[in-house]
Amino acid sequence: MLRKLIKHEFHATGRTMLPLYLILLLTAAGSNIAGRWMLDSQIFAVSLLGGLIIFAFIIAIFAVFVEAFWLMIQRFYKNLLQDEGYLMMTLPVSVHQHVWAKLTVSAVWFLATISAVILASMIVAYDVHIFQEFFHLIGDIFRVLQKLKISEAFNGTVIIIEGLALIFLALAAFSLQFYAALAMGHSMANHKMVWSVGCFFGFQFAVQFVGSLLLVSLSKMRLFRFLNNWDPEPIVAVHVGLLMAIGLVVIYGTIFYIVTIFFLKKRLNLE
Amino acid sequence: MPVLECKELCKSYGRTPALDRLTVSIEPGRIVGLLGPNGSGKTTLIKLASGLLTPDAGYISVCGLPPGPESRKNISFLPERTAIPTWMSAKQLLDFYGDFYADFRRDAAEEMLAHLNIFPHQRIKQMSKGTREKVQLILVMSRAAKLYLLDEPIGGVDPATRDYILSTIIGNYNPEAAVVISTHLIADVEKVLDEVIFIHQGRLALQSGVDEIREEKGMSVDALFREVFKC
Amino acid sequence: MQWQFSNDAPIYTQLIQQIKVGIVAGVFPPGERLPSVRDLATEAGVNPNTMQRALAELERDGLVYSQRTAGRFVTEDKTMIQQAKRSLAERHIQVFLEAMSHLGFQREEILALLEQEMKEEGETHASA
Repeated sequence: MLRKLIKHEFHATGRTMLPLYLILLLTAAGSNIAGRWMLDSQIFAVSLLGGLIIFAFIIAIFAVFVEAFWLMIQRFYKNLLQDEGYLMMTLPVSVHQHVWAKLTVSAVWFLATISAVILASMIVAYDVHIFQEFFHLIGDIFRVLQKLKISEAFNGTVIIIEGLALIFLALAAFSLQFYAALAMGHSMANHKMVWSVGCFFGFQFAVQFVGSLLLVSLSKMRLFRFLNNWDPEPIVAVHVGLLMAIGLVVIYGTIFYIVTIFFLKKRLNLE
Repeated sequence: MPVLECKELCKSYGRTPALDRLTVSIEPGRIVGLLGPNGSGKTTLIKLASGLLTPDAGYISVCGLPPGPESRKNISFLPERTAIPTWMSAKQLLDFYGDFYADFRRDAAEEMLAHLNIFPHQRIKQMSKGTREKVQLILVMSRAAKLYLLDEPIGGVDPATRDYILSTIIGNYNPEAAVVISTHLIADVEKVLDEVIFIHQGRLALQSGVDEIREEKGMSVDALFREVFKC
Repeated sequence: MQWQFSNDAPIYTQLIQQIKVGIVAGVFPPGERLPSVRDLATEAGVNPNTMQRALAELERDGLVYSQRTAGRFVTEDKTMIQQAKRSLAERHIQVFLEAMSHLGFQREEILALLEQEMKEEGETHASA
């Protein structure tokens, strides 16, 4: 059932995201052409058009980020907490599956958006020279990799994986904070959206408060004194730092997951 | 085993009680009218049965199961408002229902859409309000469920649509399933019902067969309703 | 067939009456198979259980009989249909007489009035 929910969710969101990516890539290609031949043109109309194409590209970058973010919020409240909630929340699926479907799909769109923007930037910068450089670079990387010791190669790969996992989890946890605020706000009888916004800022305040509290109290703890005296190799410090960050993000996400599930399951209050 | 069973069911919104120790049960093969003035708790009962609300106290079960993903497999629910996503087409909605409900009879749904001249590739957004309600009803009635919960299915539709809805309910009759129709337009549905449940201020006021009421009181359910709930 | 219901009597008794009228008037001819309960219920716009109850009652009276697999049939016994016709007519006349006496007519007056009305009706028919 989770698979079907995810399929449906991609269906519902893909129809806005995919055309946006297409526009992004088209304006990127246009910007490349504009940068090379149009901006310096003697004809004013052509250089103006070139400028406009590049402007459209910048707007498109902005639009994909805003839309991915907006969809994450809008799909959750429109599909589960408004009229469509009567259909969705009476499907033979659990609340957990609903939340996971929304979470997975919006995290995938966030990553896809980042990838699309990187790809678009490469398209803008693309020319024969850069293309050659790029292959040189790949060749260089391979040569460096060949010279690496196994332990270094392993560490590098793991750090990349840890970094990606951290980004992915942070995006999901961030989404969950929005979901928790929406689910809590919409359990109220009136002014559901106002309450949701209030809840979000309340959560934000609580996260910062607890965060600073942890930092202050941790620094007084014995563990921290141990860490202060600990003088690891830089690579180990990076691992420890990343893993601790992942751990904190997982805790932060789990708390909001529990809050979201509770309000959807026990305090659902559709209009 | 009753299809729907409630014992001492309580639910309140803040301090206003919506259901107050309600005990009713509905047997298979029955078409039941859930009747009461606005705000009497009809929708609350339907929402509790479909799991959209959690009871404060008491017991509720559908085919012996407490509300949850399992019990929802047996329930086909028609909400009072249009809940189908408007960006979808009728055909996409058939796919959607087929995906999530094992008991969805796609051929029956297609036949009903064709009968009403609803073009499967038209988006819900492009349809009139009446057509949207018909599509939603077709989806709900095309399931071979054990309990149909129809919340105000004939409120705000034209008489032709109302007749179509009622004949769909009759034509879909299944001796193993129960149909619950919540409404305040009693005269229109009276002939279709086996029995009626009157709810008043969250409490059970009366549960009786339609012909028993006519036989014993010598008046229609509609007339009795007006007498019981006289302002 | 036109189905119409009043508010003061149980629906199943009204169904019995109307199916009887249907049989007497030849809408459901003798020996003919009746539509299924569901189809009849849909046509009349009534609950299938109520229709079932009405048909069971008619079966008990003998106007209708059922064959295990083939469904329900109208009786082939013409005298029984005649009897039903007669009893329906009697009921109409009874209601009519009651209404007339309510209006203050005596039996002779009613008869005279009836004769006159029927004569006038015959004349309009003839001229048409």
